[in-house]
Amino acid sequence: MSSTQYTLAGIAVSNGESFVLEIDVLEIAGGKLHLLMGPNGSGKSTLLRILAFLDRPAQGEMTFSGAPVAWNARNLAALRRKVTLLHQHPYLFSGSVLANVAFGARMRGISKEARRELASSLLRRVGLEGFEKRNARHLSGGEASRVSLARALACKPEVLLLNEPLAQADKQSVAALTSLIAALPAEGLTVVMSSHDDLLADRLGDSVIHLREGRVSAVDRPPRFIHNDQENRCDGLL
Amino acid sequence: MGFLSDSFRTACSMIASGDRDVYTAVWTSLRIAVGSVLLASLVGIPAGLRMGLRDFPGKRLAVIVLNSLMAVPTVALGLVLYGLLSRAGPLGGLGLLFTPTAILIGQSCLAAPIVANYTLAAIKGADRRILPTAMTLGAGPMQCILVLMREVRFGMMAAVIAGFGRVVSEVGVAMMLGGNIRWYTRTMTTAIALETSKGEFAYGLALGIILLAISFSVNVVFSFLQESPSR
Repeated sequence: MSSTQYTLAGIAVSNGESFVLEIDVLEIAGGKLHLLMGPNGSGKSTLLRILAFLDRPAQGEMTFSGAPVAWNARNLAALRRKVTLLHQHPYLFSGSVLANVAFGARMRGISKEARRELASSLLRRVGLEGFEKRNARHLSGGEASRVSLARALACKPEVLLLNEPLAQADKQSVAALTSLIAALPAEGLTVVMSSHDDLLADRLGDSVIHLREGRVSAVDRPPRFIHNDQENRCDGLL
Repeated sequence: MGFLSDSFRTACSMIASGDRDVYTAVWTSLRIAVGSVLLASLVGIPAGLRMGLRDFPGKRLAVIVLNSLMAVPTVALGLVLYGLLSRAGPLGGLGLLFTPTAILIGQSCLAAPIVANYTLAAIKGADRRILPTAMTLGAGPMQCILVLMREVRFGMMAAVIAGFGRVVSEVGVAMMLGGNIRWYTRTMTTAIALETSKGEFAYGLALGIILLAISFSVNVVFSFLQESPSR
């Protein structure tokens, strides 16, 4: 899938005194991994909340999958079922890990048995097999990050928005999360991931959106090593 | 000292022997208190949720009024409701004065602001990430509220327990609207007040012991739930 997932035109978000985000034009292609880079306060989280349909911009037009976004409750509820945002400091609900991962499926009316199967398979995928019955509040930061990612994936979204998902993770979790996130666009998911880490662009991302003081300063395609095991070569070094 | 120990022995034997007067007053109190807390929760919880989740004109004033209502003297509330329910009052035709229903209405009015205020405090103290997390995982507006209520359930249980504590121990409303009629509207507190003034200290003490036991039991159960491993 390479059609346009989002278009933003003339988007502005105000904090009451000044604009904290001003985007003239931005297109986000579907089925790709986009990195959102920028220093603290550059507007990354604000942009992600708009893309997740959690906040309404003060001005501007937005389309999602080619259709204009209507900011009414019914339409937003439908759109939010297609987009999942993983917060920088994810909140895990009280209860078991299984209940947390199965949350989105439960909200969508999926049967208990199917939820359990889905949650178990996703926990295996994030390397937390056997964690189903653990208390979600008793996990380490890295484990919590992985449970949150599994929970987001259980919603089977079209778009996954990740707000610095590696910030809370330990070394082992960073490696597991990075490879998992990198594989998602191949499954048709559009991924937008914010990060501080400039080096991440060398390893991940089909495009990099640079934000500075609430404005898009550049959008580029990162040069990087692409390791191809079959041909046993490295290319893409520009 | 002999008076106290003799009264305590008599009170214990009244409790152990299942004294009809004692247990009828206990049953009346519990029945009315549970009913009034349920009624108060039906009003107080949605009111607390609304005030905690939505901004509306006059919200600040509403919070001040709610806080003030928590401190309303029970006798003053009893007086107002007496005026409304008495034969000459606007609701006199309903014939509710000196019935358990009148006490239930009065105690509901007493508990509702407490339940609403504690619910509001629980919502205000809730983690700010709960609603956006639920929303982005696909929960609809009603599902979001249910998730929030589940996450702050201990605060909400505290709201209901505080309401129960207020009504089970109050005298003014039960006395003025119930009339302290034996085996009908006589509650633990009105019976304690009456019988002690008549010199039946042991009877009052028996009811006092049961009242304290109920209060402690409710709080022990609440503490136990708070510390349960599934939290």
